[in-house]
Amino acid sequence: MQQVDNIKPCYPLFRDDDYKESLGNKKEQFEESHPADKIQETFIWTTTAEYRDLNFKREALTVNPAKACQPLGAVLCALGFEKTLPYVHGSQGCVAYFRTYFNRHFKEPISCVSDSMTEDAAVFGGQKNMIDGLENARALYKPDMIAVSTTCMAEVIGDDLNAFILNTKKAGNIPNEFPTPYAHTPSFVGSHVTGWDNMFEGVMRYFTLNTMEGKAPGQNGKINIVPGFETYLGNYRVMHRMLDEMGVAHTMLSDPTEVLDTPADGQFRMYAGGTTQDEVKDAPNATNTFLLQPLQLDKTRKYVEGTWHHEVPKLNIPMGLEWTDEWLMKVSEVTGKAIPASLVKERGRLVDMITDSHTWLHGKKFGLYGDPDFVMGMAKFLTELGAEPTHILCNNGSKKWNKAMRAVMDETPYGKDAKLYPGADLWHFRSLMFTEKPDFMIGNSYGKFIQRDTLHKGPEFEVPLIRIGFPIFDRHHLHRATTLGYEGAMQMLTTLVNAVLEKLDEDTRGMGTTDYNYDLVR
Amino acid sequence: MSALTREETEALIQEVLEVYPEKARKDREKHLAVNDQSIEQSKKCITSNRKSLPGVMTVRGCAYAGSKGVVWGPIKDMIHISHGPVGCGQYSRAGRRNYYVGTTGINTFGTMNFTSDFQEKDIVFGGDKKLAKLITEIELLFPLNKGISVQSECPIGLIGDDIEAVSKKAAKEIDKPVVPVRCEGFRGVSQSLGHHIANDAIRDWVLPRRDTQEFAGTPYDVAVIGDYNIGGDAWSSRILLEEMGLRVIAQWSGDGTIAEMEMTPNAKLNLIHCYRSMNYIARHMEEKYSIPWMEYNFFGPTKVAESLRAIAAHFDDKIKEGAERVIAKYQAMMDEIIAKYKPRLQGKRVMLYVGGLRPRHVIGAYEDLGMEVVGTGYEFGHNDDYDRTIKDMGNATLIYDDVTGFEFEEFVKRVKPDLIGSGIKEKYIFQKMGVPFRQMHSWDYSGPYHGYDGFAIFARDMDMTINNPCWGKMIAPWLKPAEAETLKAAA
Amino acid sequence: MANIMIQRSAKGDYVFYLPKRDLEDAIVSMEFDTPEKWGGEIRLNNGGSYYIEPQKAPAKLPISLRARRLDAAE
Repeated sequence: MQQVDNIKPCYPLFRDDDYKESLGNKKEQFEESHPADKIQETFIWTTTAEYRDLNFKREALTVNPAKACQPLGAVLCALGFEKTLPYVHGSQGCVAYFRTYFNRHFKEPISCVSDSMTEDAAVFGGQKNMIDGLENARALYKPDMIAVSTTCMAEVIGDDLNAFILNTKKAGNIPNEFPTPYAHTPSFVGSHVTGWDNMFEGVMRYFTLNTMEGKAPGQNGKINIVPGFETYLGNYRVMHRMLDEMGVAHTMLSDPTEVLDTPADGQFRMYAGGTTQDEVKDAPNATNTFLLQPLQLDKTRKYVEGTWHHEVPKLNIPMGLEWTDEWLMKVSEVTGKAIPASLVKERGRLVDMITDSHTWLHGKKFGLYGDPDFVMGMAKFLTELGAEPTHILCNNGSKKWNKAMRAVMDETPYGKDAKLYPGADLWHFRSLMFTEKPDFMIGNSYGKFIQRDTLHKGPEFEVPLIRIGFPIFDRHHLHRATTLGYEGAMQMLTTLVNAVLEKLDEDTRGMGTTDYNYDLVR
Repeated sequence: MSALTREETEALIQEVLEVYPEKARKDREKHLAVNDQSIEQSKKCITSNRKSLPGVMTVRGCAYAGSKGVVWGPIKDMIHISHGPVGCGQYSRAGRRNYYVGTTGINTFGTMNFTSDFQEKDIVFGGDKKLAKLITEIELLFPLNKGISVQSECPIGLIGDDIEAVSKKAAKEIDKPVVPVRCEGFRGVSQSLGHHIANDAIRDWVLPRRDTQEFAGTPYDVAVIGDYNIGGDAWSSRILLEEMGLRVIAQWSGDGTIAEMEMTPNAKLNLIHCYRSMNYIARHMEEKYSIPWMEYNFFGPTKVAESLRAIAAHFDDKIKEGAERVIAKYQAMMDEIIAKYKPRLQGKRVMLYVGGLRPRHVIGAYEDLGMEVVGTGYEFGHNDDYDRTIKDMGNATLIYDDVTGFEFEEFVKRVKPDLIGSGIKEKYIFQKMGVPFRQMHSWDYSGPYHGYDGFAIFARDMDMTINNPCWGKMIAPWLKPAEAETLKAAA
Repeated sequence: MANIMIQRSAKGDYVFYLPKRDLEDAIVSMEFDTPEKWGGEIRLNNGGSYYIEPQKAPAKLPISLRARRLDAAE
């Protein structure tokens, strides 16, 4: 029973004896549970190489995927434009899920509407929903732009966004000139990163495809930055800062940093910041366009090269030391602006930190999973520290990713043993964490269940999770961090080395057993 | 501020409706009402369970969410396949806090995501073969599962797959129940139809499995239906039922097992907590197995005591005495909790907007703390829910059905509640507006809130949020000097 | 023809339930309501009406039946 001065929530309340008894009786009398030894025996079997091999033979089943579906990415992309309301054509449940998913990660409001297609729309198509939906959304939420994407329901029945939107305007429900970029984002193709790419291309197409006359590369003296599906707010900010320090005029095409980080001051802002329509219209006049996550921006690249005639630089994600170097040098080359002393100093500070920490990171083994560009940048950075990425899993990684990733890893002795797993899921990853145990794993919050599994086998089998990725639901405010540029490398390095030291403390704090190496100074 | 009068509330509704296009205004008008306790039937004042308007930002989910997310997902020893593209299963993975104990991945699977991850070829050629293969793979890699359910996502019903045939065949092959559920997200107008479809699947595919099997019953066997064990709610409820002498033979569906579901028809009484999502199966068991059912409410000591007595009334004196014994046992603790928190919460005004049973069920718990619920509404309620709500709400309070983001924000600006209880999609909007907020779906990662032990946590949580110092820090001191001085003087 | 369920409310009135449309409503009139003959045309509070083949009054409620729609509401 609770006590007024010691009110216990679920934990530790249910560890009280009366609850243990109640739960024990339930299991004993009614659950028809398998015997404990059988459960343990099966558990141990799932940790073996034999099980791993069976697990990797799966062809139809996905267990604990490490990816989401296209319209989620489309929504994030749309949020990055000024006063833009993301609008998803199809079932309403999807939008409830997208909002919730981002709410949980960013701890911010997410404004997004659906046009609530139901069974009749499945039969007759969703045009009526679109006509009413665009009108209602515009009347209630007064956006300057509505960015339309689709759920799989609308895609399966073959709804034609272009025609529906035109007909809505023809019917007079929204004005002709009201901006309504759109993208088909079928959830049975690609993943959330594909959806970002599609929506982005849709926005660019809407504002620039038919207005290219008089526009040419280099006219506005800026460069364009395209972030891709990026959930670290610090990454947008660090890009602005570095380019500002270089004196490079630039446009971040899709920048949700304001709307995903509004203050608590008594007012709710549905819209804040974001790339303006004028900036988008002017984007073809930039000297060039830099894609921060090139592996997930195929469609964007094609459009930018084909329509804007930009020669998109072939670069990797600017993560870690070398790839930030290369990125800055390329920006310098394209813009003619020198890399300023401030960034040279910042780079020096990062190198200084690496020299300080390398002793704890050299030779440490990491398994990692996440989106294509992220894992590539992360793995590259690990090798720069003398650490070894042993398993690199990318559920939404393509053959192209596999080839590029292999090439990067083969360049360095620290990467040559890395095994790559495109298309694999987190149940595959779980097997690997048992049979080829690394020191740590790096990924999103879902990894916590794998960490628990490894601990369940015994403390010596535990693989601690370092949370870098998306989504992160179970730790606060990490989405505000930075992973790109020198600054991002500093933050990640700090996270990594302290994870190593935390673990060492945990392993050596046995009084009277491991007093050695439980050091004050490290 | 003082409460709005009936006229003021009616004017507020009209004012909020002004912004809508005419067609939408006519529809939304029917979903907003000023409470009038003298009305017998809610449909005279409020319309519910209708399609959401396109584009208005409803917070409603879909039938899949109602079936996989609510009813089936928590059955811990079965594997629930999110059949279709990858998103649905990912977004609904492990977010609902319906607690269970077990060895996850071995004999329980509640926080996992099993999906057929449809690709374009599956849409074009159909997914039946993939489903059949996937079930054999599950059986190979997760041999201790007690059964499988197939939770249909939107495309399944659109491409004409025959998941029933695949399920029947697979069930024979693996000699375990394989339950096809037609909960495609486009069916119905909210998660509500998904609950119903899920109930029907249980009726057709699960309950009859032990119709001829002997059961060592007692006269005191009951089943708890419609408790999803959020934060452990069902556990802090079942312990009270056990203490009064009843035997809880099944728990649906939080921490539930298929064995318990199958044994439920042996209960002497079905106890329904979430009426909205599980009244269907209770009615079915009443018709087929002659099991009476009753709704109960375990939020707050007043309602808990009322409910314990009402439950006991179905049994003999031994149970009736048991109920009194339980009420007496917890009385002192409840008194202490109320003595501690009521002075800190007295008179605070609350607006609710949630789903299931909570828009009405939690009112009593707030009242136990001296608080007043001045607005409430259901995401996916039906007329019968509102019938049950009118009497619990004060006169001239606001009632809103399937409220839109716009309406809710406007209502809050005018009603100025001291606390809002709603979901995560609303949480950050109102927190930024400076209104204390508690998630009343997930208990804001706390709980349980059911039963006596739960009420103590509920009281603690409401106090910590309403009285936390953060709400007074919204305006920088140099921006509003006059007000800041007044605050300082008051403190 | 649709599957429906008829039950009694707490107050003793008949309540109509149409699972397919998730429609629950009070029955305001039933053409026949005697032990020997029960059913026929039933009218709902929302204005809709249905027809149940007249039969002997069921021994207990709720009961699931087949019903024909005469006039749907709305």
